[in-house]
Amino acid sequence: MNYTAITLLETDLVTDPTRNVLIARLNAPARQPAFFLPDEFTLLEAVCDRLVPQQAAERIDMAGQIDKRLTEGEGDGWRYDDLPPDAEAYRLGLRGITESAEVMFGNSFQNLSDVQQDKVLADIQSMVAPGETWKQLPADRFFEELMADAAGAYYSHPLAQAEINYVGMADGSGWERIGLNELEEREK
Amino acid sequence: MNETVDAVVIGTGAGGAPLLARLAKAGLRVVALEAGKHWNPKQDFATDEKEQEKLFWTDERLSAGNDALAFGSNNSGIGVGGSTLHYTAYTPRAQPTDLRIRTDFGVGEDWPLDFATDIDPYYDEVEQFLGVSGPSPYPWGPPRKKAYALGPLPINGAGQLMERGCKTMGIKTSPAANAALSAGYYQEGVGFRHACTNRGFCQAGCSVGAKASMDVTYLPLAVHYGAEIRSECFVTQLVQDASGKISEVIYVKNGQEERIRFKNVFLCAGTVETPRLLLMNGLANDSGQVGRNIMAHTALQIWGEFDEDVRPYKGIPGALISEDTHRPKNADFVGGYLLQSIGAMPLTYITQMARKRGIWGQKLKRAAAAYNHVAGINILGDCLPYERNFLELSDEKDGRGLPKPRIHFSNGESEERMTAHADKIMRDIWGAAGAKNVWSFPRNAHVIGTCRMGHDADTSVVNADGRSHDIPNLYISDNSTFPSALSVNPALTIMALALRTADKFLANT
Repeated sequence: MNYTAITLLETDLVTDPTRNVLIARLNAPARQPAFFLPDEFTLLEAVCDRLVPQQAAERIDMAGQIDKRLTEGEGDGWRYDDLPPDAEAYRLGLRGITESAEVMFGNSFQNLSDVQQDKVLADIQSMVAPGETWKQLPADRFFEELMADAAGAYYSHPLAQAEINYVGMADGSGWERIGLNELEEREK
Repeated sequence: MNETVDAVVIGTGAGGAPLLARLAKAGLRVVALEAGKHWNPKQDFATDEKEQEKLFWTDERLSAGNDALAFGSNNSGIGVGGSTLHYTAYTPRAQPTDLRIRTDFGVGEDWPLDFATDIDPYYDEVEQFLGVSGPSPYPWGPPRKKAYALGPLPINGAGQLMERGCKTMGIKTSPAANAALSAGYYQEGVGFRHACTNRGFCQAGCSVGAKASMDVTYLPLAVHYGAEIRSECFVTQLVQDASGKISEVIYVKNGQEERIRFKNVFLCAGTVETPRLLLMNGLANDSGQVGRNIMAHTALQIWGEFDEDVRPYKGIPGALISEDTHRPKNADFVGGYLLQSIGAMPLTYITQMARKRGIWGQKLKRAAAAYNHVAGINILGDCLPYERNFLELSDEKDGRGLPKPRIHFSNGESEERMTAHADKIMRDIWGAAGAKNVWSFPRNAHVIGTCRMGHDADTSVVNADGRSHDIPNLYISDNSTFPSALSVNPALTIMALALRTADKFLANT
């Protein structure tokens, strides 16, 4: 049997508390933005697609999860003191990305090629991207927060966990074979 | 409603829970106030990191300094059981030399306690009660009076790799001491706890009760002896009476303010919330030391990819230890560190890679796809207190309308040299073990200090028994009182000191 994070959910190899959480996440509808304006949201989607590219037909809604977090005012318990509160940081950061794209390539971020988009993001990460906004928002810190949010949204999704062959959610029983190269049936 | 209880304990983690049980056993009427919920792990805990973020303290903290500290998942928990709900259960003992940093190095602070008489007996007691699993004899430190309660837990892939690398380099290793059960365990007043199933999710909450979090050990014992635990009660005010004692606290439950009156109060809310409460209320700070002396363990991680299937989600994460680096020869830094193998849950591993390795796009996806083949090795090392590292109240308010704490932290020369020393050793170990694509994750863990204990009321907040120098019925029992950071994870020592503080209190009142 070749189990994945998706097929495991239909078996009793996963406990109910774990299954309920993962199935809800798997079946969550694409989110209509409540925090971001429509333009901001499409920009954020385009940025997330470069940070964590996805080819599969079924897309993982990274921007939607960030929107949900900011709408509900949820945080991870801390922020860099030199960043403004998360909501403001995102508004400013997206504005900064737009400015950098305009200055560097004379176009909106969404209209740039993949290579150009990556160049904008790399320059933001290394704090050399042009734009007025980056004078008030530390570009490297914002990039780090955005990256953590995007990766967290993507890899908490069962589809992404299937992509990396992760089956640790199969908690219906314990693991007995835990040494190097020791696999159990549900890991094969 | 007008009842005056003998003692109120604020916080139910490693500092509050053992003490609560001790006071209740002595026949005192004790009430614990806990900000978080009382979970039922079997029903409420999923094997999913995102869902389990509910165990993290997420009221926002502001992190300043050159090495700004991460909180939430890194340092602080919420819920009945506190941070022990998501601690890894790694429970090495401090060594006697950890308590005399100033004597041995001329900087930092000594502890006002004697290892053999003040701490060692409590280590024995806590280890036996929790059912700590570990090797006997244990290769480092003074001889133990008692063997560990249970034999060591099995070694996972990361532990085997560290064993392999260290063997090549002539570094001694041993299965580590972990407060998770290698066999079923029974304790009077607690009942039977199931052996560890190697589920590997200790840092996201144990759903089988094998990990010795406080909610399955000292808290049921406390309740057995008559203690009351009030969950979802967020303390905001400590009220001082005309005599200078603290006579009641005000807390918020379901949006309503409630009060409780008492004879004595024990603050056990941790290195951030304990000083925050004192600073908000302007209490116990004649020394000006509340919030000072923040320390955080050097905790560099080295990760690598291996040809073998590692499956880092299985087994106790910190399976293997070496304390050969406790006091390395020719070291150019103060104190020392331990080495440990580490497993990792996928989201933790990948998001920290996204944050600190600086990779994204296809590079991140490739590195994430290697997850089943990654293993880590980690240090836990001492840290000196510095004038520039402290906690203060900011002007920014959180969702409860209370000032957010701002924590300033920058490593000093000693911590940077120790980290460089460890970086070389760990890269060599991982090279010898066959790692590829090795990368390092610099970090600090376990925030410590802010209400230092000491004999001198001018330079410390509490005395060696945990009692405030300024307010006679106020005690502190948590990692805020540590005068130095120690070269080991703090939980076991917090619990040992909690029992000692309770015994001293009972003997003196």
